[in-house]
Amino acid sequence: MKTSRIFSLSIFTMVICSVGCLRLDDNLFNANANKITKYELNNYKGEVDFKLDQTYGIPANLVSLFTLTSKGADEAAGTKIYAVYIGDTTRISTDTVIMYCHGNKDHLDFYWPRAQLLANTNGKNRYGVLMVDYRGYGLSEGKPSESALFTDVDAGLQWLKSKGLTGERLMMYGFSLGSVPATKLTAEPRSLRPSKIILEAPIASSEAMVQDASALALPGSFFTDLKINNADLIKTVQQPFMWIHGTEDHFLNIKTQGEVVYNNYKGPNKEAHKIAGAGHSNVPVYFPFQQYLVAVGAFIRKKF
Amino acid sequence: MKKIVITSLVIFTVMSCSPTRFVKPLAKRQQAVNLSLGGALISYSKLTIPMPFVTATYGYGIDSTLTAFGSLNVTSLVYGNAQFELGITKQLLQQSGAWPGVSINPVANIIYRNKDASKIYPEIDINAFWDYNHKRNFFYLGVSNWFELSGKRAYDQQQEHHWLFTPMIGETFVRKKWNYNIELKVIAPNIANNTSTVDYKTPFGTHGAFGIYIGCTRKF
Repeated sequence: MKTSRIFSLSIFTMVICSVGCLRLDDNLFNANANKITKYELNNYKGEVDFKLDQTYGIPANLVSLFTLTSKGADEAAGTKIYAVYIGDTTRISTDTVIMYCHGNKDHLDFYWPRAQLLANTNGKNRYGVLMVDYRGYGLSEGKPSESALFTDVDAGLQWLKSKGLTGERLMMYGFSLGSVPATKLTAEPRSLRPSKIILEAPIASSEAMVQDASALALPGSFFTDLKINNADLIKTVQQPFMWIHGTEDHFLNIKTQGEVVYNNYKGPNKEAHKIAGAGHSNVPVYFPFQQYLVAVGAFIRKKF
Repeated sequence: MKKIVITSLVIFTVMSCSPTRFVKPLAKRQQAVNLSLGGALISYSKLTIPMPFVTATYGYGIDSTLTAFGSLNVTSLVYGNAQFELGITKQLLQQSGAWPGVSINPVANIIYRNKDASKIYPEIDINAFWDYNHKRNFFYLGVSNWFELSGKRAYDQQQEHHWLFTPMIGETFVRKKWNYNIELKVIAPNIANNTSTVDYKTPFGTHGAFGIYIGCTRKF
């Protein structure tokens, strides 16, 4: 074999070996599809899943935008992330609080109507709502990752704990990608043990997503190192569980994703809400809003 | 959560990462190396582009109607998976006037990552081709058929699709040492494309994907 051919073959091999671990993990995070330079919340004019009328409006004095330091046990330094709390921060020690874990797209502004809607559960500002921008989302620093989701949401829970919240008054809510930290931190609590969990359009697992996308029974590890597996993790959850999913969800299929999570729940109390006609992003619209709030409110109030 | 734009681009098109390997068999003892580029059309940064799948193929003419070949999907290799194909091209009918030549390609598609993650997909392609312009060109059409043998998918759910077919048409420019090829495919038109995370671009609505491939073959 000529030297030039050996050289070419070596280069080719080195290139393949050096990029041989390329994975699709980062593509799960669609942070800042619509970039922002500051949080605008009520005044945000960009794309949102749905808009609310003024009856759901929140007084400005009950909206707190602030930063947290998110630091995992294995991290040398913390990362600055942004959070918004809807409610009276001086009453967290006695209030019930919904920890809202948002989806994979954009930032707090995009999900603001969802958090705002939840702040109307069982009456305006009856419950506090906390939402954080995972690292890499919105103006939060750092880079998104699966483990960072848990660390960042737990940073929010640490803040709530520091304000006097206890697990009995903590409701975990995860939408779409948010179902990942919501399920994880309910099954394996860190700072606080949530008393109930609500999952809207949850992911079953990264492998189930691979198989939905391919129509083939491919191993998820062909394309991703993500360990997302809510369907297995939910088996260890004993807290009451509410599942909400649109029947026409073409992004996270109700049958292959949400229903698997629901069926795998082994705890004593669960309820399902399959919303006819709703897709991935408009479940509260199809519920519709008032019935959505009634259902969520009843679940939160219910004594199990 | 909106589209996870790229997440599974590679996935749906695993079954269509290359054009048909050898529609016509090589001459006896002839060797050929083919490099092809292309894939399903997808939306990427406001553009519509074909997925850049690169496939390298080696073929050997066992006799004038039978060619054996092996392919390596370079793009899959980049993702850490060894995806290769082993197959043959067997010509069943010679072209006769307007009646086309007919060939079949039984292929084993093998994807291996590690001992816990490997798959084999049997495939059979059926091709009809017409030589023209003094055999300086041939036009072909055909159907590629993939078969999913697994009865179950994740969490013991039923695997819904077992037959994925892909109609295609193509044109090959035949030169002395080189062949140049372009092929268009309608990938899995029997499967809804709006249930996945990928923004496929296809003129066929909510089913399947549309693929474009180009390739060149060096003959020895």
